[in-house]
Amino acid sequence: MIQVQNTEENINFLRNVFRKYYFENKDFPYLYSVEKREFGYRKFDSLVIRHISFKNTGELVAELVRNVPLDVYYSNAYYGLPSNPINEKQWEGADLIFDIDIKDLNLPCAHEHTYYICNTCGHVNPEPKLCVNCNKGKTYDTSIPCKKCLTSIKKEAQKLLDFLYCDLGIKEKFVEIFFSGNAGFHFHVNDPSIRSLDSYSRANVTDYIIGNGFMCESIGVRKYRNGFVIKLPKSGIVTGWRKKIASNLGINQKSELKLKKIVEASGGYEGFRNELKKMTRKNGVPIDGQVTNDIHRVFRLPGSINGKSGLTKAKCDDLESFNPNNEACMLSDSEVYVNPKTKLKITLKNNTFRLDDALEKVPSYVAAYLICKGLASISNAQ
Amino acid sequence: MSIKLGSSELAKYPFLQEASEYIHETKFDFEEFNRPEMIHIINRAAEKLESELKGNVYSNLDEYEIEVMTFMVSLLLIKSIGLEEVSRKCSLFEAMRVEKFLTTDLSNERSIEKKRLLVQKIFLELFKINIDVDSTSSICKLSVPDYLQRASKMNEQEWKLINRSVKDGYVYLDTDETVRLIRNELSNLIYSRIKNMKIVEIPISIKSKADELRTKYSGRYVYRNQFKILEYPPCIKHAMEIINKGENLPHSARFMLATYMLAIGKTVEDVIDIFKNSPDYNEKITRYQVEHLAGKKGSHIKYSVPSCDRLRSEDLCFAVKECENLINPIQFGRRKII
Repeated sequence: MIQVQNTEENINFLRNVFRKYYFENKDFPYLYSVEKREFGYRKFDSLVIRHISFKNTGELVAELVRNVPLDVYYSNAYYGLPSNPINEKQWEGADLIFDIDIKDLNLPCAHEHTYYICNTCGHVNPEPKLCVNCNKGKTYDTSIPCKKCLTSIKKEAQKLLDFLYCDLGIKEKFVEIFFSGNAGFHFHVNDPSIRSLDSYSRANVTDYIIGNGFMCESIGVRKYRNGFVIKLPKSGIVTGWRKKIASNLGINQKSELKLKKIVEASGGYEGFRNELKKMTRKNGVPIDGQVTNDIHRVFRLPGSINGKSGLTKAKCDDLESFNPNNEACMLSDSEVYVNPKTKLKITLKNNTFRLDDALEKVPSYVAAYLICKGLASISNAQ
Repeated sequence: MSIKLGSSELAKYPFLQEASEYIHETKFDFEEFNRPEMIHIINRAAEKLESELKGNVYSNLDEYEIEVMTFMVSLLLIKSIGLEEVSRKCSLFEAMRVEKFLTTDLSNERSIEKKRLLVQKIFLELFKINIDVDSTSSICKLSVPDYLQRASKMNEQEWKLINRSVKDGYVYLDTDETVRLIRNELSNLIYSRIKNMKIVEIPISIKSKADELRTKYSGRYVYRNQFKILEYPPCIKHAMEIINKGENLPHSARFMLATYMLAIGKTVEDVIDIFKNSPDYNEKITRYQVEHLAGKKGSHIKYSVPSCDRLRSEDLCFAVKECENLINPIQFGRRKII
């Protein structure tokens, strides 16, 4: 979210480059059933407007060019009356959406590219403590993801796709992958057969993907008095999570004795249960459950600009080759002066910029990126 | 080749379309229940009903015609007794009776075609669930969305998708599991048939039997258990600690805390007071949200406390030993007031 250090000059600059983008990119090809969606947006003063609707994409673009919001959202739900209050919208179903964020991977490289910005004075601090500059403000963190982050999140994204295609049987044509515009990926599943699922059913899917709630009994280990017995399930251990766990344990339908020894080596039923928990977390994907479970949520609109970075929520056709710093960097090339608040190196549109904390002339897309991240201010220098 | 269910099979499932057709075809008139030769049907229905009220599944099985009539009289008796608890209990035990027959039929049936037909009759015709029988393993399979729509309402962890055999968009279930999947719906189906029955005049023979049963059982169902909470569950304690420290509580935890407090009888004002220490406290917004959860605003539906399963998913569960076997935080530390 744009924070306090964004002066009127910064906001005016961002509004101008955002407006130019929306004026030149009027298609929103991945926005379906526009008339059935609820829209919302965040203004530059952080105020969020919700419960609005548009008859077509043209109306939406006109609104974006006129008001130039910081962030634009639309509902995963389809409504009969999308602009009505939430209980009177006539819910008709919702796309199933998954969100993976680099932050949730807890990567060891995070500290190398995380900055802590003071909420009060905007100073960039080295640690998440009280601001060393003003001694008053608490800090919020911002990050410039590195190559390692991108490789790791793509690996998780691939795991998620395997769950969707191989286990849940969702056809590839119903899955669209988007870079979130900042530090994650969104997976939109618009399979009509799952649109009517309620939030309990979606929570069940979330737990499946995360690896939450797998029981020892599902792999054939049952609690018995103070110990345990082995009884492999009749429906087998060759599919779904059972298969993953069986493969991790190196067992098959005939390995009752081997399984017994594994459980004993883990310290009995409870010990084995703890081992299973670790195993399932490792094999699962750390999606944001609340995003998936919510059937009335508004999500960032594909093709819109993310106010946290100035990058767009871009469609990702080939996950492996996708480079967000190229393919999602869509703002203008025209040059402006910025005052970076810290030394940093970034690569956008295949150009690498090494910035000191002194006045620099950079393309608008770099300036927007840094201002949105709270790492620079626009300068009036000519 | 056309395969049909025989009358011996249909006798076990008197709620199917065929049963209504049978009554319709024989042009049976309700007044006929007043004839002396029908008394054994009424007595049989009463015997079944009493067995169910005692908590037993009535397992006697007679000929198709007798079963269809008994089922119809049972519904009339329950309707005529007019006690909600009797309707609920008998619906559940009738469902369990069907469950028992269906499990046996599906387990013993060797013909895949006949098994498919039975599954189709019960699951597709009544509940619109498309279940197929795998030709090689004879195990039942249904699509993930169909499964989720049923299983997500069940509290036992074994029904979570992660604990199921899942492949290529299908969930594979053995016979017992397939039948258990519809237990609640079957019970609800029978219950709704009782509720929706519109009878101008109940035959006197049935009415007098119903009066007799009402007198016998009404005393048992006049009270409702009342409980008081002796201790908050750990998830609620944790949320309260965060609030009391003046730290920010995630939306899902606020929802849990507010619904819990309302469920144990706190007033809207009490609940608003709890949130006063939140860093972003705004009385107007808090009041609106709490009143909404209490069913006093918006849809006028009182929101339930999220289940333990849900709280685990949202990382809001801090279970202790006493939480074992609980399915909802509301059950924690609850003692019956005698």
